[in-house]
Amino acid sequence: MEPNKEERQQQQEAAQKAEFDPSEIEYVIYGGEHHLPLIMNLVDQELSEPYSIFTYRYFVYLWPNLSFLAFHRGKCVGTVVCKMGEHRTTYRGYIAMLVVINSYRGRGIATELVTRSIKVMMESGCEEVTLEAEVTNKGALALYGRLGFIRAKRLFRYYLNGVDAFRLKLLFPIPEINPVLSMIAESDEIHTHDQIPQQECQELQQGS
Amino acid sequence: MDQSGAEEAAIHRHPPEHSSIPSGENSVWSDVSPLLEAACRELRDGELIHGDNFNLFAAMSALEIMDPKMDSGIVCKYYSIDEAVENGVAPVPISSDKTIDVQCTIDIMDHLLACEATWHNGHSLAQTVFSCIYLLRPDRTSSHAILHSYCRVIRATCKAVVSVVSDARTHEEEDLFTMAYGLPLHGDGDEKCLSMLNAVEETIYRQLRACKATSSKKRVSEDIEPLQHNLDLEEGFCKALLCRIRFPFFPCSYLYEKTSRKRLGAFGTCEDGVEERTTASGRAPIGFDASLNSRSSAPTPPRAIKILSWEKAVQYFLKLLHDLDIVCSYSLDPSLEGVLRFVVQFQKSKPDLIARAHLQLLLVQDGKLYGRDPIFAVITKAAALPEVTKNHDIQKNEYIVQLGQLVINMLKILCTNAAWQRRKLGKILQDWRVIYVQLEIAFRNEFGSVSSISDDENICVKIFKHILNWVEEQTYWIASRYLMLGFELDLYSPNEYCMVYWYMYVVLIKLAEKTHLRISVSSGTAKKKGKKKKDSSKEVAKESRIPLPVLFLQCHLCLAEGLSMMLAALRNELMVLQSPSPFNTEHERFIQHFELLQKACVPDNISYLSFKESTTYTRFSTLVMYNYFKNAQRIAKEIKSSFSDDPDRLAEVRRLEQVAEHNGVALNVICRVGALDPSLKRRRRPNQSQNSKLIFGRLFFGLSPDFLIPPNPSLSLSLSLHFSSRIL
Repeated sequence: MEPNKEERQQQQEAAQKAEFDPSEIEYVIYGGEHHLPLIMNLVDQELSEPYSIFTYRYFVYLWPNLSFLAFHRGKCVGTVVCKMGEHRTTYRGYIAMLVVINSYRGRGIATELVTRSIKVMMESGCEEVTLEAEVTNKGALALYGRLGFIRAKRLFRYYLNGVDAFRLKLLFPIPEINPVLSMIAESDEIHTHDQIPQQECQELQQGS
Repeated sequence: MDQSGAEEAAIHRHPPEHSSIPSGENSVWSDVSPLLEAACRELRDGELIHGDNFNLFAAMSALEIMDPKMDSGIVCKYYSIDEAVENGVAPVPISSDKTIDVQCTIDIMDHLLACEATWHNGHSLAQTVFSCIYLLRPDRTSSHAILHSYCRVIRATCKAVVSVVSDARTHEEEDLFTMAYGLPLHGDGDEKCLSMLNAVEETIYRQLRACKATSSKKRVSEDIEPLQHNLDLEEGFCKALLCRIRFPFFPCSYLYEKTSRKRLGAFGTCEDGVEERTTASGRAPIGFDASLNSRSSAPTPPRAIKILSWEKAVQYFLKLLHDLDIVCSYSLDPSLEGVLRFVVQFQKSKPDLIARAHLQLLLVQDGKLYGRDPIFAVITKAAALPEVTKNHDIQKNEYIVQLGQLVINMLKILCTNAAWQRRKLGKILQDWRVIYVQLEIAFRNEFGSVSSISDDENICVKIFKHILNWVEEQTYWIASRYLMLGFELDLYSPNEYCMVYWYMYVVLIKLAEKTHLRISVSSGTAKKKGKKKKDSSKEVAKESRIPLPVLFLQCHLCLAEGLSMMLAALRNELMVLQSPSPFNTEHERFIQHFELLQKACVPDNISYLSFKESTTYTRFSTLVMYNYFKNAQRIAKEIKSSFSDDPDRLAEVRRLEQVAEHNGVALNVICRVGALDPSLKRRRRPNQSQNSKLIFGRLFFGLSPDFLIPPNPSLSLSLSLHFSSRIL
């Protein structure tokens, strides 16, 4: 039987908010083939664009150190998939997919996942980090904005659904001028009153 | 792998029954499934057999065979158009019942219009307009005059549009648009399509007259066979067909039909979801199959395309016609300044690709403005050079020739969509800077030091000087457009507004300076200017003689400076809009936002340091002292009357005046809040600071768009009210 409107609303609310303490979330670096189905399920479930298995393998085989998974009591609730490499004259990191399942959003999981990847990129000598996000994805834009990304470009009808994208970029300070470490120390304070976005996913365009 | 098994499998050939690609001399079709199956048995998870040049990245663009979302070769229903035709998918006539035939023809016309609009909006021609089987087999419809002529016109229109867009081609936006792999864009005799359509129109018009005469019991003057046999529907059908045939030329007729659509709808099934329908009647059209052409829609995998609704398609075409009307009625202003203003104004209505392509072709043809004015003559006029320069040999100078090319490129770029335009403008800034330096060097080599030669000595010296100044002016104009477009594209976040307005301010200063120099030189006052500088009474008199374009820029400039300073003061005194981030600082964001300007030294000697120097110590008292907003308001008032014959510019000045006024009020309010509640000036009172953050955050959203986009008075008003209520 179809639940009535009130029941549906209650169910939705329950589904929207999973009860947990942030300390219960366990963050794990990509550990091999056994993690692949977890990542694929999550992305298939939350992002509209279907990716072939080759796309996932391209990322996690070449840059396993940049992919992270978030678990809550054994259940995979979020993941980030990235790459890095030469781009023209720079060495840059690229965030390909970031997903947190709906009921776990708004609690800083995506921020933590992506922060871990960015730290590895920075330590690996990347000069900048980049990604694309739909102009309508306010949650993702706010999240990356807080991390220091700027909206460098707008990409006209970037996605197949006709929506524009922003190219977001994070430029790391040149170490001599601005010691990175001191800033990271500073950042702890900021995270305590972080406002968390509602939606934290962004998409990779195929073949880009 | 089991080698022998695989070989055996490979030899085992099955010629495909419905292959549309025949085997060649040295090739035959063979079924590789057994080979693949044998290979797969040997593989474990995560393994891949590949050649040396095939890596994981290449694997990412692999297509999964038999997945309808990826495999464009997959057979959906029919193997070929012929097979679809044989199966009666697109019958001619559409129905043996003439009434139904007319109904169906109208549906086809509607759906084709929706397809065309969908194509214009970025989808492939193959999967939109050419999903119509009647279009794909031009000869089949020859016995059906209405359908035949309409299809011919549609094909001819598509061809014409593809040609305009390819001629105007500037970037990838057009790639998918102009792709017409193997589609019959040109049918024999299509060039006669208009006369055919005219004949059809004439016949239907007579049928309409005849049926009107019959219904009003008047004598029928001619013996005309009706369109179809149901006399009650004859008039409505005739009108429906006429307005469809005439639509591109008389859009109002289509509008008429929108109002009488209910009557037509009565013949179809009235269902929910009007907004989804691609035909006026709501019925699905006969003779379309998007899957037949999916192989022609490469290089992207076929995608399920949602055809725009009939309503949206009509809206789209009305806008297109309106935009084309603006382009056609443009008076071909010979001054570059006028052209630039027109293009910028035109772009404000966000015209689509087709209208922009037409504008570009109008502006630039054969390397001339409007295909008429040689570009050097345009530069001569723009740089306020004497008339004789037009025929001067200097135009053969290689850098002057290059400069001409830069002007043409700039005009083309200004006709592209805002996103692309900004990127390209950012890049050409460097070219403009380089040409300036090259011209300057060429100038020095030829004439030595500038100061040692008097202006009258050599006309070349004069020309070079004027051109150099004008190149700089144009460079700053491009820079200001680049910065402005950032707002339109929503590239700046509120905590970056301060630096953006500041940069805009420094660019505008230079732009105003160069513009002033050009205008005063051309009116011969340049020489007097220096001498009279110290005479204060005459200084005032001179003030009033500041040319209008310069005053206009000054108004912008005061606003930009005021906004930047107000944001800086808010940050310095009330600690709002600060944006510490874990990985970088404001310095890096400054570098990123203005990278292209900085690379091109626009302006010279401007850096993050200069931004910090001018904003770090800004206080509200500074703002009150300098009265930026009041000055802007005063200038706007002053120049308003001069634009009384130019409604667009008048509206712009009015907006500037409003923005200045609103921000003046806002500034007063902020100062009073600060005075009433000194705690706001102290940092780290979480609640207070949260409150003020909220107020100011909202306030800024009111400010920034006001500055560029049509103002939203209700928003500004509500902000002020919101603000006052908080103080009370």
